[in-house]
Amino acid sequence: MKVLVTGMGGVLGTKVAQMLEARPEVSEVAGCDFVPPRRRMHHATFTRIDPTDRDRLTAFVTDFAPEAIAHMGVYEPDARLGPHESESATQMCTVTALGAAARAGRLERVVLRSGLEVYGRGAGAPKMPDERAPLAPTTQYGRMLLDVEAMASDLARRDGVAVCALRYAVVAGSHAPSPLARLLRLPVVPVPAFADPPFALLHHDDAARAMVEALVRAYEGPLNVVGPGATSPWQAVRLGGRVPAPVLGPGWALARHLVTLAGAPIPDHVEDVLHHGRVADASRATDVLDLGFVHPTQEVLVDVFDWATVTPIAESARAEVA
Amino acid sequence: MSAPAIKPNYGIDADRVLAVDSPLAALRRRYDGRFAVDELGADPHFMDVVAPLGAPVRVHVERGENLPRVGPALIVANRGLGLFEPVVLVLGVRRVNGRRLRVVGAPELPVVGPLLNKLGAIGSRPGDVAALLRAGHLAAAPLGPTWLSPGAGEPPRALLAATLGFPVIPVAIRPGGPLGLPVRPWRVLVGEPLLPPSGTEADDQLAAAEISEAARDAVHDLLREV
Repeated sequence: MKVLVTGMGGVLGTKVAQMLEARPEVSEVAGCDFVPPRRRMHHATFTRIDPTDRDRLTAFVTDFAPEAIAHMGVYEPDARLGPHESESATQMCTVTALGAAARAGRLERVVLRSGLEVYGRGAGAPKMPDERAPLAPTTQYGRMLLDVEAMASDLARRDGVAVCALRYAVVAGSHAPSPLARLLRLPVVPVPAFADPPFALLHHDDAARAMVEALVRAYEGPLNVVGPGATSPWQAVRLGGRVPAPVLGPGWALARHLVTLAGAPIPDHVEDVLHHGRVADASRATDVLDLGFVHPTQEVLVDVFDWATVTPIAESARAEVA
Repeated sequence: MSAPAIKPNYGIDADRVLAVDSPLAALRRRYDGRFAVDELGADPHFMDVVAPLGAPVRVHVERGENLPRVGPALIVANRGLGLFEPVVLVLGVRRVNGRRLRVVGAPELPVVGPLLNKLGAIGSRPGDVAALLRAGHLAAAPLGPTWLSPGAGEPPRALLAATLGFPVIPVAIRPGGPLGLPVRPWRVLVGEPLLPPSGTEADDQLAAAEISEAARDAVHDLLREV
């Protein structure tokens, strides 16, 4: 199976590519992104392409003619790109890569990165939605993800491609760029004064594993992928030894401004997490993807605060590299 | 990922009451953030911290062996005026069975809603209650309030439809005195678990209607026994 990994330069895309390399069902892996992967690839090939460069991306995908796509070219606002850039990059990457792959004529399956943001947290929305819950996003990222899912669904209807949308909880871990994790690592963190809603985290290794399993098993339909357990803004802040700063109503405008100056902008989907929480029922994914151990939210949180520093390379590994 | 040096959920079980911290240790734990939060906002450590406040309430539970020691079940109980019955049920289950009961029907109000969520209560959305049961918890849904009348109220049929397949346990609660005054201990009588016919799937409206009526009749019979 020839697999195209869009967004391969991110932590998640790189992990997916590394895991796909090790699968016997996968014969070839090629990827693209606007930044190169920061981990060693054994067989996968990478091409640096700006996702908004339609011509180059089309030529690359048409030339590769993938049988499967791991669509990680879905950019969370304020993770690696600003809100406007992430929206246009996500849309262009989705339209161009999926369209070109379908026209190349060999595409059989697509697994795409989505998120729990598609459910929204409006009045009457379930607090712990399963995959049948209505989709009513209330944030920019949620609407972006719903657009991506809609485009992929159209592809599935039109060309008979099996499409699976993995609705991830907030993906976090050390070294994974995440606006929520960045905010939680500030010395003083704004938190809602009179609310402490639960939210779940997903370790990037588990997110990558779910992507690979869904791709190899050709699962069709949406799946919630969430780490067990939850945390809350106050608990997370104290566990990291940070100072919670309770904020009320209009104070959030000032808080947003201050944390942006401190280098951790709060996009609306992260503010939504702080105010309304974000969890989901992931029992179906655990069953159908046979995921086994998934890192609990509390462990992911510890990993976020334990941001690993430089890891010395062992002498044997150094010799191998040389 | 390096294995963090923590026990899962810091040694706190979201379903069962294990060891309880001393007041000083509890304060330190709150300060350090070393406590668990569950997916619907419950804070088991906070529940343990405030549990002693219920100590003066006397509760006498009969046929407590009908409550499952592990695994999911939905308790359906009568409800009168205010919050007395749910609170008594939480205390009774905790004392007899050592489990944390999740009461259905927390209002979505600022401050009050999140506080009740921390104490284990959840909203009334059927999907959320079904998810809670799938996670293996013990939940309690009150019948419709009957105010001062003696019978059982309306059963929550939509909730029972969404949670079909899980055991439904009828429970009758009688106050220790008029208007909940602590003249005698509160009495909680636990009935036999009710199960829908095998092969019934969630959202089977006929099966839900049948089990709703069976639950109401069972609570009504238990109320006459108490």
